[in-house]
Amino acid sequence: MTIHTLLVANRGEIALRVFRTAARLGLRTVAIHTDLDATAPHVRAADAAVRVESYLDVDAVVAAAVAVGADAVHPGYGFLSERAAFARALEAAGVVLVGPSAEVMDRMGRKDAAREIAVAAGVPVVPTGEDAAYPVLVKAAAGGGGKGMRVVRSAAELEEATAAARREALAAFGDDTMLVEKYVERGRHVEVQVLGDAHGTVLHLFERDCSTQRRHQKVLEEAPAPTLDEATRARVRQAGVDLAAHVGYTGAGTVEFLLDADTGEFYFLEMNTRLQVEHPVSELVARVDGAPVDLVELQLRVAAGEPVGLAQDDLTLVGHAIEARVYAEDAYAGFLPQAGRASLVRWPAATSAAPVAAPAAGPSAGPAAGPAADPRGATVVRVDHALADGQVVSTAFDPMLGKVVVHGPDRESARRALVAALDRTAILGLTTNAGFLRALVASEEFRDATIDTAWLDRHELPRPEESQARVVAAWTQAMLTATGGSGEVGDTGRARPGAGPFHADGFRLGGPPAPQRVGLDRPVVVERAADGLGGAVDGVRVVQLRAEHHTMLLDVDGERLEAVVDARAHEVEVVLRGQRHVFRRPDPAADRGPAAGDGTLVSPMPGTVLDVRVVVGQEVAEGDVLGVVEAMKMELALRAPFAGTVTEVDAVAGRQVALGATLFVVEAAPDAPGTAGTGADSAGTRAPSDGAPSSEEPSSGAHRDGGAR
Amino acid sequence: MTDLRELTADLHERLAAARRGGTEAARAKHTDRGKLLVRDRVDRLLDPGSPFLELSPLAATGMYGTPGQAGPGADAAVGAPVDAVPSAGIVTGVGQVSGRLCVVVANDATVKGGTYYPLTVKKHLRAQQVAAENHLPCVYLVDSGGAFLPMQDDVFPDREHFGRIFFNQATMSARGIPQIASVMGSCTAGGAYVPAMADESVIVREQGTIFLGGPPLVKAATGEVVTAEELGGGDVHARTSGVVDHLADDDDHALAVVRGIVDTLRPTPPPPWEVRPVEEPLEDPAGLLDVVPAEVRTPYDVREVIRRVVDGSRFQEFKQLYGETLVCGFAHVWGHPVGIVANNGILFSESALKGAHFIELCNQRGIPLVFLQNISGFMVGREYENNGIARDGAKLVTAVACSVVPKFTVVIGGSFGAGNYGMCGRAYDPRFLWMWPNARISVMGGEQAASVLATVRRDGLEARGEDWSAEAEEDFRAPIREQYDAQGSPYYSTARLWDDGVIDPVDTRRVLGMGLAAAAHAPVPSPSYGVFRM
Repeated sequence: MTIHTLLVANRGEIALRVFRTAARLGLRTVAIHTDLDATAPHVRAADAAVRVESYLDVDAVVAAAVAVGADAVHPGYGFLSERAAFARALEAAGVVLVGPSAEVMDRMGRKDAAREIAVAAGVPVVPTGEDAAYPVLVKAAAGGGGKGMRVVRSAAELEEATAAARREALAAFGDDTMLVEKYVERGRHVEVQVLGDAHGTVLHLFERDCSTQRRHQKVLEEAPAPTLDEATRARVRQAGVDLAAHVGYTGAGTVEFLLDADTGEFYFLEMNTRLQVEHPVSELVARVDGAPVDLVELQLRVAAGEPVGLAQDDLTLVGHAIEARVYAEDAYAGFLPQAGRASLVRWPAATSAAPVAAPAAGPSAGPAAGPAADPRGATVVRVDHALADGQVVSTAFDPMLGKVVVHGPDRESARRALVAALDRTAILGLTTNAGFLRALVASEEFRDATIDTAWLDRHELPRPEESQARVVAAWTQAMLTATGGSGEVGDTGRARPGAGPFHADGFRLGGPPAPQRVGLDRPVVVERAADGLGGAVDGVRVVQLRAEHHTMLLDVDGERLEAVVDARAHEVEVVLRGQRHVFRRPDPAADRGPAAGDGTLVSPMPGTVLDVRVVVGQEVAEGDVLGVVEAMKMELALRAPFAGTVTEVDAVAGRQVALGATLFVVEAAPDAPGTAGTGADSAGTRAPSDGAPSSEEPSSGAHRDGGAR
Repeated sequence: MTDLRELTADLHERLAAARRGGTEAARAKHTDRGKLLVRDRVDRLLDPGSPFLELSPLAATGMYGTPGQAGPGADAAVGAPVDAVPSAGIVTGVGQVSGRLCVVVANDATVKGGTYYPLTVKKHLRAQQVAAENHLPCVYLVDSGGAFLPMQDDVFPDREHFGRIFFNQATMSARGIPQIASVMGSCTAGGAYVPAMADESVIVREQGTIFLGGPPLVKAATGEVVTAEELGGGDVHARTSGVVDHLADDDDHALAVVRGIVDTLRPTPPPPWEVRPVEEPLEDPAGLLDVVPAEVRTPYDVREVIRRVVDGSRFQEFKQLYGETLVCGFAHVWGHPVGIVANNGILFSESALKGAHFIELCNQRGIPLVFLQNISGFMVGREYENNGIARDGAKLVTAVACSVVPKFTVVIGGSFGAGNYGMCGRAYDPRFLWMWPNARISVMGGEQAASVLATVRRDGLEARGEDWSAEAEEDFRAPIREQYDAQGSPYYSTARLWDDGVIDPVDTRRVLGMGLAAAAHAPVPSPSYGVFRM
């Protein structure tokens, strides 16, 4: 058959990614969307779009495919991508699913069944039951995403932990079948990208390492796996192929293994019967004739019933690729999901994914003597995302905003290029983990590939220092004030023609310009030279190298900082090294609250005390009624002006009081009034929905991969 | 022979010293109380980055001695490194508050407790005059012990003394020029009327006090013992007396409240002339220090100055071929149209007639006038007198005096004799008058004065048949020359507020632009003149 129209049953970056290949192949593309996504990037990128109630509504998606005359449906990842019922419904409707058969999905979808298949295929599995020595992992057969899992270190704990895991599993998956298996203390997550067709070909596209995880959520992925010896590497790859071949797998899939870093043994975990989030790292390293492969193209070829058209030997592995997942979450505040309007979005510029050829030989290759076209310099940046300026990020969907992927001739050059790419990743308006990713990729542990799957659950990265961001924020605010800017950073920061002689350059007669006092979370003193290009912030030397389109390039005390800045009336937002910092500006008109000493409550009118409700020494909260005075037929409540202690009670019920007579005195609690809020707190933070993911989150609950996703 | 660069460097040093305010001990005592220094108060009152056109920062220089011996008759040498009353103990000027140009008058309590010396009064009144002429709101940051009692006779009773401050507040308020006061320290005796006469006022809690008589006077008068806070503290005046309208927690809060008040004022009226987009001069104003000789007797072409002051260095000259010693023409400064009248030599009849004509043109067209003054005087001699140079000089003086457009004078060289009048000296009410550090000002040159006085004396001696030796004559002439030299200094002038400040020549364009921006707040009436002697 031939595919003419492809419906992508997904949203976000993966829908865009599939559309890119489909458009290149000349296919008509169709998007589906919910009301929330009516104008989302994936809808705009498609040739047509169909509204559905939910991305999880099998009947609606199938009906949409039929209605638009789609020959095939690409499910992406998450949502319906591993639902056998969806595969069956499409088949019944005569539409091809770009993925394996419903039967394979069924077989591989259950951990217990998958394990049996692996054993049958001769693939090593984690020792279970009596074979497993402590520590063991008790986990739900139907589970995933870390739910219904317990690490048990001794027989004594087993019963209780199992019971707890069962309760969780029953609640989450409606099935409390439990498995007990060996628990690997220092595990690495290694997975093999496989591809099979209906003509008996099963290939691997090398392996990936996704050991940098947080609570089974993958954070960084790379290919090839950095810690394998060649023999193990070959065995792992072969195990992936053997398993896929054993089940007659068609399409792209991933076979996940747990590698015991201490012994070098690896064990089958599960198989994911779809395209993975991290597939780009495989695409960047797996080459055919030096060109990167396109897994979506190969998926479509297989779905159309054609042979893959490649033999294992056609594939070569070139260089090293690393992917970082950018999430809307505050990595330094418990990884709370973040939502809001992404006011400014800067992804690193993608560089051409031109094949990184093997070092060219031949004397004529270079202009000068020595090695020609050193491949060490050639790194490639790829960004798969679906987030543009002004877009609203909601917690209704998966919080992944995009992926920054880098390829280099070797792991270290790729890693450095990824640090640089994350430095140029700036999302303003809501907090993301880009700064966390940057710090993680720059860490010695990641450099040395010693991060195991539980490392991030044991280690906390320190929150990036705020001081440099504050310098950038203050300098930018001062520059904008001086140039009369409204937030958009001008080209040079010099006074614009037309600005009057009272333009804000701090001019003073016969002396240096008055420093600007910029109110951020605290006052910051900015001195600017007359040309606006040099100066100091709180005494730290600053040279302004560039200021355009919200991007500031500053030399701060000899260190070069590039940051994206958005200065608004009440806050200045800075993204530096991926990390978002928000500095609230003080509101001079804001009520400062009563100062200490205002705790004397006097009779507001001549009248009679009706009620006394406190005694000396009593603690009161702000607004507590201390007593009531009646005057001119009105009852007036006397309230504590701030939290504190009652130190004096002069009011006596029933007694006449004169205007201004002291009735109560409250002494403020030491830190009660007017403590200024700190800056840089994350905006738009939402309370975590702890264990209650919204129904549309593609990777949540039952739809989440068994291990990490 | 010093050049203009050195003179300017010297000016910067003097300004830096004056900006420090009172003695280190006085400043430390002030800040230890949680109070901001006066220029910090001004900086924080103004919009972030707002320029401040400070008026006469070198006022009272050398007039009240050094800190150790301050008082009447304790004149120190002009330019003594440390002055007892720097800036006359008060900071005044024009700056932007909540987007509006305002005149700020702020006492420096680190200088003799912010008390009013004669020149403090004069400077306060001058700032009020700037506000009144240019229709700018006044913000008073009060921190003053009132009149400097040892000099009360020069502070209290006369028309242009202390009482005039409140007269001005009342009459400006009547004209719709807002008066806002913030009491940030003492506000004693007469000073108490500053907040009381204000349209709206603020006081800082446990810091500002307002009373007609302080605790010592109260005790002396009635025997009542009372603390300053009970007598006239913030709580008293905000809650009980109603003398102030707002109670602030500290200096910063008070300044924020003042900014809030200014924010409620009527909008600024449109300028009475067309303001065009600004163009920088093609020739860098910094070049002024190289093209202008420091010695006023060395001739140079004043167009070199004009080119470095006006927008695009474009100058449309009027009567270029006639009366060439007075250069007249139209230009723009920071987008504001100006008619420039600049000396290029001694004034002759033709130059005076040309100047009078040009000034009439500017009044007719509502174009502000800028006088660049470098004048040794009108031409003298039988031929000129007989031809009636005084008649033509009078025409120029009449035109200048009766001008209704705003006038700005910059003394860029000499300012001698009637040339000072024809070129809009202080007596002719320019909106602002600034001096360059090379300027000289006196009724005539020291040498000429010595000659005139020596001739008169010689005539007298010879009439009585007495001899006057050359040595004796030189002994007579030398002190006269010295006196004129000392009194002709721009620092002598600025100490006495004969001007609004000595400026760095490079800042001329900027300062003129600020003056024009201020002047653009007041309407320009229709012109009318006295009798021109024909």
